[in-house]
Amino acid sequence: MFWKLRLPLMLTFIVGLVPIVTFFLTERVWGVAFVRDRVEQYMVIITGFALLLGVVNVVQGNIRKIERRKPGWPFAVSLLLGLFVMGAFGILSAARVGPFQSILTAPDGSDTPFYWMTRHLFNPLQAAMFSLLAFYVASAAFRAFRVRNVEATILLTAAFIVMLGRTPLGEYVFSWLPNGETFLPWVTEWIMAVPNAAAQRGIIIGAALGAAALSLRVILGIERSYLGIREK
Amino acid sequence: MSELLGVWLGAFLTLCIFSFLYKDNPFFRFAESLFAGVSLGYYIGIVSTNTLVPNMIRPLTADFSGNAHLLIPLLLGLNLYTRYIPRIAWMARLSLAVYIAYYVGIFMVQKLQGEVVPQVGKTILHPIGGNFTPVDNLIMMVGVLSVLIYFYFSIEHKRAVGVVSRVGIWFLMLGFGAAFGYTVMGRISLLIGRMNYLFIDVVQITSQYL
Amino acid sequence: MNLERLVQVDRRIVYLLIALGTLIPILKPIGFAVSTTPPVENFFAKVESLGGDDAVLVSFDYGPTTAPECDPMAEAVLRHCFTRGIKVVVVALFPLGGVTMAGEALEKIVPQYPDLVEGEDYVFLGYKDGAQATMKQMGVAFSGVFPSDQEGTPLDELPLMTQVLNYANIALVVSIATNVIGEWWANLVNAQFGTPVAVGCTAVSAPKYYAFLDSGQMLGLLGGLKGASEYEQLLIDRYPALEPIYSKAGEYNAMKGMDAQTVDHAIIMLFILYGNGVYFLIRRREKREARLEQ
Repeated sequence: MFWKLRLPLMLTFIVGLVPIVTFFLTERVWGVAFVRDRVEQYMVIITGFALLLGVVNVVQGNIRKIERRKPGWPFAVSLLLGLFVMGAFGILSAARVGPFQSILTAPDGSDTPFYWMTRHLFNPLQAAMFSLLAFYVASAAFRAFRVRNVEATILLTAAFIVMLGRTPLGEYVFSWLPNGETFLPWVTEWIMAVPNAAAQRGIIIGAALGAAALSLRVILGIERSYLGIREK
Repeated sequence: MSELLGVWLGAFLTLCIFSFLYKDNPFFRFAESLFAGVSLGYYIGIVSTNTLVPNMIRPLTADFSGNAHLLIPLLLGLNLYTRYIPRIAWMARLSLAVYIAYYVGIFMVQKLQGEVVPQVGKTILHPIGGNFTPVDNLIMMVGVLSVLIYFYFSIEHKRAVGVVSRVGIWFLMLGFGAAFGYTVMGRISLLIGRMNYLFIDVVQITSQYL
Repeated sequence: MNLERLVQVDRRIVYLLIALGTLIPILKPIGFAVSTTPPVENFFAKVESLGGDDAVLVSFDYGPTTAPECDPMAEAVLRHCFTRGIKVVVVALFPLGGVTMAGEALEKIVPQYPDLVEGEDYVFLGYKDGAQATMKQMGVAFSGVFPSDQEGTPLDELPLMTQVLNYANIALVVSIATNVIGEWWANLVNAQFGTPVAVGCTAVSAPKYYAFLDSGQMLGLLGGLKGASEYEQLLIDRYPALEPIYSKAGEYNAMKGMDAQTVDHAIIMLFILYGNGVYFLIRRREKREARLEQ
């Protein structure tokens, strides 16, 4: 019970207080700067380990898929191939073995294998996957945007003004009026800076209070789900 | 030559992804799985080269006794992986507690001191002056309060509260509309980048080798 | 006439029109004029107010997913700083591509300024995990989290980093960001250290950041491709010598991208108008039928 529950909760309380206490105390208080600096430096390293946690999950899951010849298992092979080749080049660069002296360019100015894979596999794949959203957002706008009630009308009007006003089209629409070319860009900027900022601010304040309350629950040990403990 | 091979490989993978727009197919599935694998491989490379080696391994190997304290994050970090060994999986909780607690603590200060205080302060402390006209400042104040009341669920939204929360919805709709307009802009930009790659970069680099 | 069928346009037709609307302006640029807005003007003015004794921290907090928006911002800011002789400290905090985006940007921009000396005029510290922990520790000492630069040179061997010890020596933080890291510079670094922060962000984040702009936590904002194009325009207006770089054929930049952006916006707006027009007719028909039934 102590090792599996109380100790993790005690650690949560103590470590959770470090950034709060060191925020309020000045550096002149004995030990504050030392503890703050050490914890921050340690967290950089621990976050590195934490980021790689997901890799183990993915490797396990895909190896199982290949072993059991589940549908689509050849794609698991391509996933693992990409992961291990890219990862291996990265680790060799980290160890500075032979020609792998950097993850960017080699001393002769050519791309290292890791950088080459980044430029020609990682970058295009990432960019292409997300650029699909351009098509979906256009299709969704056409299908879902309807002036059904007051709220939808306000939403659509704001979206329309912003879409127009944030392109040169916005300058042409009212260009027949004196100084008309500045009108729509001005309206757009006003919407963004006043009513939009007001709405965003309301959301920010509400969400921040909620996040702070949740943080407090974690530090005080009331919220424990992050440790995999389910409340009965 | 590797550059030429690279851009054509990139173009092929881009087209594999785009093929999904017609319908799901093995080319897309291949590119999708490669996308996941390469992204995780990238993580491994970046984390080891830029954090684990310079901040932990190099100091430890250069001067072990002087940097022995770095064994603490090393052990805490490695301990995270005990969750994959069922018999001692509970041990990972210790590292997880440290990791989560620190960021939760920092997050609490960040949210209260960095968001609530300045955002509330800017709303109520300067009704006249600042970047805006008094009318704009009034609209801002009404907007913030009405949105907050809309999100306040401890009282029933009836009578005056109902009216104010309705105003809050209108402000939210204006905000969401503006956000939608910007989202369209952002998504289209990504496609512009890809099209530029396929029809300008690939052509230019290929022509250099012809 | 079956009105319902009028709105059931095959999604692939929408896709095709969007693809053409993007491709044609890329192959045949239109060259729309770019007007500027206060958030971008303020950002530009701040960099303009700095000089050779100042250091700017440029953080690459984005990856390839938003590179078409963010690359032009990063490049324009770097060009602006290097043109003015401002010292630049480059870091990356976004794990999925930040450091390689920074590497590519520097590879492209630095050769355009042959007098630049790495380590004296600019440094590239690379990527670091830890996000808020890294941001906080940089306020105490860059060396606390970056023992060396991207290529492994210890910080004390870099002349610039012997003068730039922490945020106290940074005149401006510029974050080119794709997600929450951009706002962390405002609600953590600006809030706790008082360092001026300007953000160039993907368009999706921009509406939220207007709240930080108004509260003074961000002194300037480049929102998406439009913001980037405005910065480029201001840069060319102020430094006409940079114009050939931006008008070079086949070289992507935000001003050129705005052509396709404008055409695609027009296509989407026309689709929305068309969809709502048909919807209006359907509603009118339904109301008429309801009246007849009564």
